[in-house]
Amino acid sequence: MQTTNIIGVYDDEDVLLNAIHQVQDKGIKVKDVYTPFPIHGVFEALKLKTRLPLATFIYGVIGVIIIFSFLYWTSVVSYPLKFGGKPLNSLSFIIIMFVATIFVATFLTFMTFFIREKLGPGKKAQVIDPRSTDDKFLIIIEKEEQMTKQEIEIIKNALKESGASEINEAEQEITENH
Amino acid sequence: MYKKEVRGILVEGNKTYGQITRDITMPLYAKTPLWWYIAASVSSIAILVGVWGIYTTVSTGIGTWGVNNNVAWGWGIINFVWWVGIGHAGTAFSIFLLILRQKWRTSINRAAEAMTVVAVICAGMFPMLHMGRIWNAFFILPYWNTRGPLWDNFNSPLFWDVVAISTYLMASAVFWFIGMIPDFATIRDNTTSKVKKRVYGFLSFGWIGNARGWLRFETASLLLGGLAAPLVVAVHSIVSMDFATSVMPGWHTTIFPPYFVVGAIFSGFGMVLTLMIIVRKVFKFQDFVTQSHFDAIARILTFISLIMATAYTTELFIAWYSGAEYEMFTFMKNRVTGDYTMAFWTMVTCNAIIPQLFWFKKIRKNITIVFIISIFINIGMWFERYVIVVTSLSKDFLPSSWATYSPTHVEIAIFVGTLGIFLMGVLMFFRYIPMIAISEVKGILKKTSK
Repeated sequence: MQTTNIIGVYDDEDVLLNAIHQVQDKGIKVKDVYTPFPIHGVFEALKLKTRLPLATFIYGVIGVIIIFSFLYWTSVVSYPLKFGGKPLNSLSFIIIMFVATIFVATFLTFMTFFIREKLGPGKKAQVIDPRSTDDKFLIIIEKEEQMTKQEIEIIKNALKESGASEINEAEQEITENH
Repeated sequence: MYKKEVRGILVEGNKTYGQITRDITMPLYAKTPLWWYIAASVSSIAILVGVWGIYTTVSTGIGTWGVNNNVAWGWGIINFVWWVGIGHAGTAFSIFLLILRQKWRTSINRAAEAMTVVAVICAGMFPMLHMGRIWNAFFILPYWNTRGPLWDNFNSPLFWDVVAISTYLMASAVFWFIGMIPDFATIRDNTTSKVKKRVYGFLSFGWIGNARGWLRFETASLLLGGLAAPLVVAVHSIVSMDFATSVMPGWHTTIFPPYFVVGAIFSGFGMVLTLMIIVRKVFKFQDFVTQSHFDAIARILTFISLIMATAYTTELFIAWYSGAEYEMFTFMKNRVTGDYTMAFWTMVTCNAIIPQLFWFKKIRKNITIVFIISIFINIGMWFERYVIVVTSLSKDFLPSSWATYSPTHVEIAIFVGTLGIFLMGVLMFFRYIPMIAISEVKGILKKTSK
């Protein structure tokens, strides 16, 4: 399926930030913003949140439990063998637990990042405007089917008034946006 | 957050975003320069020498090394610790400075991370070769076996090392790669070459730079950074415990973990300085790697150098204050004076005294002198490991088990080989990967440019 987007192209990050607020104030829904580098104001303006830190924390907890269980099972249950007069369930397990937990949490966090972001080796990028990874900032507004010509004009005017250097329309393959 | 202007200008030349993209990606499009081929040939020769050393070690055995029953750890472990130390630069730069929100990291972190990955690979080779029968290296993994199953000794620092180094390699490689994804996308969208578009398109993982993507990207970097920061400290603490948990005089001290961590960061920063001065000169990145960057690194090195000096002094003081005659002998008769005096005083001069020249602004501004001092730091840190490993082992408790150590050409060849691998890795990085994080430099442009 395809949809058409109205794209406002901006040259500057500050103009872009103002523009997002202006467009939103007029009741227009901003679908997405493409920038060459992360801009914190954009996240706030679009009210975006991520649960990645929570995921990492959960991975860490699971990691600690699994690693401790493994160390305990091997050293106390499976083959109890005294080393250097230390107890079987030794305090020095902490070191492996610490490092291996970081391993688990790091690995799973970056896997989660790729899976949630639907990124992967060789995935074809749905580039709307190739300049958006160079020096242009894009505001994407979806052109819905029930929109009248008037409404579309209003959107384009709003983009223009907010300082867009170009206004384009482009088709885009729909992927599930999360 | 960045209210004070401590660091001065970080991007010079009044650049636009488009210019930054073009300036940084230029070396990727340009014809491979002649010096690159020359350097690549030199490193290939070094790698061949290393391959010979490794072949001899594996086919004949550890007997080809200069190590003996007393000095059982020679260049193998010295170089292992040295490379791991250099490998701490990437994390120190990207992660500590990311968490501390230091903006000047942006033009240097990519190169430092690349260095880390190659240095850790070099480091990892030494303990593997030191095992002697490398084909049995998998014994170190805790796998289900037919001998009981008999598991690893999880209380052993040598096993901790395996876990720590492999975790460190994975984490730094991942951190490095994730940071490069947006830059690969930039190249994909800007190049005219079809091959480049395909290759970098493949590597860019379909990155488009939308708002949600950036939010997740930033969060993931910060999380990975937050996880890797304690990891760096843990890795080199564990390396130090290879020594500190033994009962050898000169090793059995509680100062070792912090002393090693600081030393690692010291040598890492030293190597970054060496590398960045070359990159800046060769690729004409003066606008991105400015005087302020070198100034910042030099100031940090001055501070760390003082910590190193404190550590050396503390060790000597405690050797005397503890009243343990063996400690006293190792430090006073086998380091400060004795057979290894040269190594000890080289270490002190290069690490604790010469970097103090950075107190002077004139010296910090003179890139040639900064470069020379950075080389001294690399040498000094190598000698530090030499002093630690060899002096303690060569003369321990019983005079009947005293021995001297000098490396054979096989050990030297392996070290030369790892230098070749490092140089080759860095050269490949120069040629095919944007050396400076494009998106990160753009992010700091407005507030710090001129």
